[in-house]
This record gives sequence, C-alpha cells and structure tokens, in this order.
Amino acid sequence: MTNKYYEFFCPVKVIAGKAALEHIPYELTGMAAKRPMIVTDKGVRAAGLLDPVIAACEESGLEIVSIYDDVPPDSSTGVVRDIAGIYRAEKCDSIIAVGGGSAIDTAKAVNILVSEGGDDIAAYSGAGVLKHPLKPFFVVPTTAGTGSEVTAVAVIADTEKHVKLPFTSSFLLPNAAIIDPRMTLTLPPHITAATAMDAMTHATEAFTCMAKNPLSDAYATAAIKKISTSLLSVMENPKDADGRLELAQASTMAGIAFSNSMVGLVHALGHATGAICQLPHGLCMSLYLPYVLEYNIESIREPLGELLLYLDGPDVYAATPAARRAEASISTIRRMRDALYKHCQLPRTLKETGKVVEEQLDQIAELALDDGAIMFNPKEVTLEDAREVLRRAWA
Amino acid sequence: MLAKRIQPMAFQARRLYVELMFQVMGRALQAVSEVDETVQQEAIALPEGFLFEMMVMPNGSSLIVEHTGNGRFHYHGSTAPRPVDLSIQFKHIAHAFMVLSFQEKTSVAFANDRMLVDGDISYAIRMTRVLNRLEAFILPKLIAKRAVKEYPANLHLPEKLISAARIYLKVATNFVETVRA
Repeated sequence: MTNKYYEFFCPVKVIAGKAALEHIPYELTGMAAKRPMIVTDKGVRAAGLLDPVIAACEESGLEIVSIYDDVPPDSSTGVVRDIAGIYRAEKCDSIIAVGGGSAIDTAKAVNILVSEGGDDIAAYSGAGVLKHPLKPFFVVPTTAGTGSEVTAVAVIADTEKHVKLPFTSSFLLPNAAIIDPRMTLTLPPHITAATAMDAMTHATEAFTCMAKNPLSDAYATAAIKKISTSLLSVMENPKDADGRLELAQASTMAGIAFSNSMVGLVHALGHATGAICQLPHGLCMSLYLPYVLEYNIESIREPLGELLLYLDGPDVYAATPAARRAEASISTIRRMRDALYKHCQLPRTLKETGKVVEEQLDQIAELALDDGAIMFNPKEVTLEDAREVLRRAWA
Repeated sequence: MLAKRIQPMAFQARRLYVELMFQVMGRALQAVSEVDETVQQEAIALPEGFLFEMMVMPNGSSLIVEHTGNGRFHYHGSTAPRPVDLSIQFKHIAHAFMVLSFQEKTSVAFANDRMLVDGDISYAIRMTRVLNRLEAFILPKLIAKRAVKEYPANLHLPEKLISAARIYLKVATNFVETVRA
C-alpha cells in the first residue's frame, strides 16, 4: 500500500472579475454584517483604490462605519491593538481588508482581538490557539502576489520584544476574497513584476517541494500558465484589465497551492534576505528562483520538466526532449527575468540589488537554515549548500 | 474473527513500541549531545533550560529533553518539570509508529501533516536536524536512509561505528541507572 497522504483545505469564497467589488454588500448582508470597518494603508488610499469599494457599498445603502488607513509596511502589535480599539468604539461588526500582505495580515490579527476579546494579540500567537470562527472578514487584494487572501497565517511584529509573532489557524481565512481588476490596474511596473514573480515562485515551489499533492498541483500549474501568458503583456500594456485579472487570479491560485503544499529553499533564503537586508519579498523570490531550482534539479527533474508545458506552451514542450525539460524550464524562467530587468530593472542577482554586501551572505545562509520553509525543500540543505546557492546568486 | 481478537494486542504492541522508542530516543539524545560536536553546535543555539517535547496526541507517550547549556541535553523521561518551550506532536499513535518504525521519514511526516509544531519553528527545524544526525549515527545505513531526507555524505563508517557504540553504551548505562533508581 502506498504511503502517500495529503490534506487540502480552502474554504474561501473567491469572487473574481468585472464588478466584483459590487458583490461586497450582498456578501456582508448574507452574514448579517451591517457595520464594516476597512483596514488599509496610506498608499492604497492615495492611489484612490478605496473609492470604488466605498462607492460599491454606499450604492447598496451599506455604510462603511470606520476606515483605518495607517497600516505600516511591517505591522506591529500596537497597531493591531489600536485598530481593535477603534473597531470596538465604533461598534463595527465586520472587517474588509484592502491592500497587500501587511494590511491583510493586520486585519487578520485585528479580527482575532475583536472576536476573542482582550488587547494582547501575543496571547493568541502560535498554531491552533483559536477554537471558534471569527467575525465576518473580507479581503480585497491590491497586489497580485502574496496570496494572503487565501492563507491561514498572519505575522505581526512585537516591537517591544523584537520578535515576529506567527498566527496560524484556519479561522484566520477570510469568508471571501474579492479579486477585481480595478484594484491592480495602477500598480507600478516594478511592483507588478516583483509580485507576479512572487506568485510564480509560490506556484513553482508548491509544485516541486515535498508536500505537493494532486489538488495543489492543479492550482499551481494553472497559476504558472496564467503568469507566463500574461505577465509580459501586462508589462507592455499596464492598462490591460484582462491581463491584470489573469495575474490577480494567478496570485490567488498560487496562494491556494502553496498554503496547502508549503514552499522550500527559495522562501527560506528570501525570508532571511528580507530580514537582514530589508529587500522586498517578491524581489527576493524572483532573484533566487532559478538558482534554487538549479540546486534542487536532480531531486525535482520530473515535476520541473513537467512545468515547461505551463511555462512555455505545448509547442516548446513537445519539441524539447524529456531529459532536457527541467533545464528548459529554468531557462524560460531566466528569460522571463531578463525581460523584466529590461522593463523595470527588477534585479536578477544580489549584486544588482545594490543593497546587499558580499559579507552578509554567510549571515543570510545561517538564518535561512533555521527557516521553517527549509523543511519542505526536496533536498536536504546544509550550511555550505546554502552558501553555494548564495554565491551563485551574488553576480 | 481471528483478526478482531488480534487487533487489541496489535494496538497494545504498537503503543509499547512507541513508548520504548521514545525512551531510547530521549536517552540517545542526551548521549549524542555528549559525543558529537555537530549536535553540540546545533544545541548551543537553544536557550539554557529549553525544554523540548515529542509526544503523541492527546495524552499519549512522550519524551522530554532539556538543553542544560553548552550544547548538552538532559533526558527527563515523560514528565516535564515545567511547561515545555517546544512540542512536536504526532496527531495519532499510528503516525508516531510509522515514523519511529522508519516507514515514513520525519520530513515526510511533517509534509504529510502527521505532526504539529507548538513553539518556535526555527527551534523545531534545529531539533529535527539533531534528530536526523542521531538517526544517522545509531541506525544501520540502510535503515537510516529511510529515516532521514538525505544520509550525510561525510559520515564514514569508522566515525559512525565509534559514535554509535559510545551512544548505545551511554543509553544502556542510563537505562540501568533508571532501573536501579
């Protein structure tokens, strides 16, 4: 009997496409929520992205009771406490997160406090602490990369103790994710590129790492196909609403894939680099992806070769001998990165970022070795292996 | 009919096996931290007094070890002197049996959601590396290959044999001392 086993879980209702935002009032009413609070950041508000959300609600006679628009890029326990205080004072009954990873994680944490009670979010840190469903919660992503709208995780910084608090529970998942192309239409080119490569990495690692399973594979391959088909055309024509929607859906699908099959060494190195050199997560993903695939290649030759079909289409796949497909997949990813570098100078090496010095590589390798993602990498990674990958990614 | 009669005995045998393996592993963890420099280097990053637990949910067998400083572990048996800092919990005794009888690698068990981590993930990764190192030492290579993601290429037979002998001797001594006490 086979030892194969997997789990797959995604109860998030996905509401995607033209005029998706206009479904929010109906969805809120369906959960008996009448006093929603919006959690977002200043960038989102300045870009005018709140306007269609508010208009959609007001047109249906649903008042947005409170808007908190000061979520910082790295949210903290203090911010969560403050927002929960406003939620209670304004007698809100539901939360709509509008933004990227930070706004969504903050809203997840706020939802814990306003549902479970108390002011100390640290008390709920860890896995499986939550035992009850939380308040109605909706997410409107404004970037197409993190996949946070379908992950059961939030990370909040405890600024007093200088630690990052992880929260893991299926109750953190929103009731619905609203994917509307209007939300990503104005994303600047370098953020479009970095976040799409973030999603590409989520899908690629989901498909090649240890916890892959048939259901996450389906989401991962579909996401890769959408990104490969649409990313460069969106870079050429940023106002391409159809292409934007494809990328946004791909991000959600990649999120569903990796939250059910985990990620590997690209993420371990990326988390460490982000912590030490303060480089954006998506950029790190794009940067490390081909180098890690090259390192893992003998352990993932078959699935990586299979990805060529979704990365480069059936003609190239059919014309490439099976034994060369894994290498061809890496070459396709490299070509994609070269094109993005041409468009918006998205760095392909650590040196090109201009923010990393060679002396930091050892520190990054050591930190990466303790990252949770490394457990699911198909190949056992030693300190020397991590250093070697970093040396290759340097220049 | 016969299968039905045998089943409770099989369950009992499985429970006893897991319990025995926890006792061996706990003592072996203490022993390997006295013998191997690599394990000491891994353990030294843990806080002094750090309590690590491996257990079967909900209240099954468990092993508790403490980092007493300088990369050394002390085996506490199945009872912790205070709340543990890190707990790796098998969801069911069947899952613990699969891992401890080397039918499923520890890393695969994590990937298959057989286990939960309660505590700092980075410490869990570190402790998994220690467990892998221990298994590479004390198990024959053929079996160790089934237990760890990759058998260490730089672990050669003389080092393995000498270290394994020292670990087993310490484990046996500890068992005898426990019985006498």
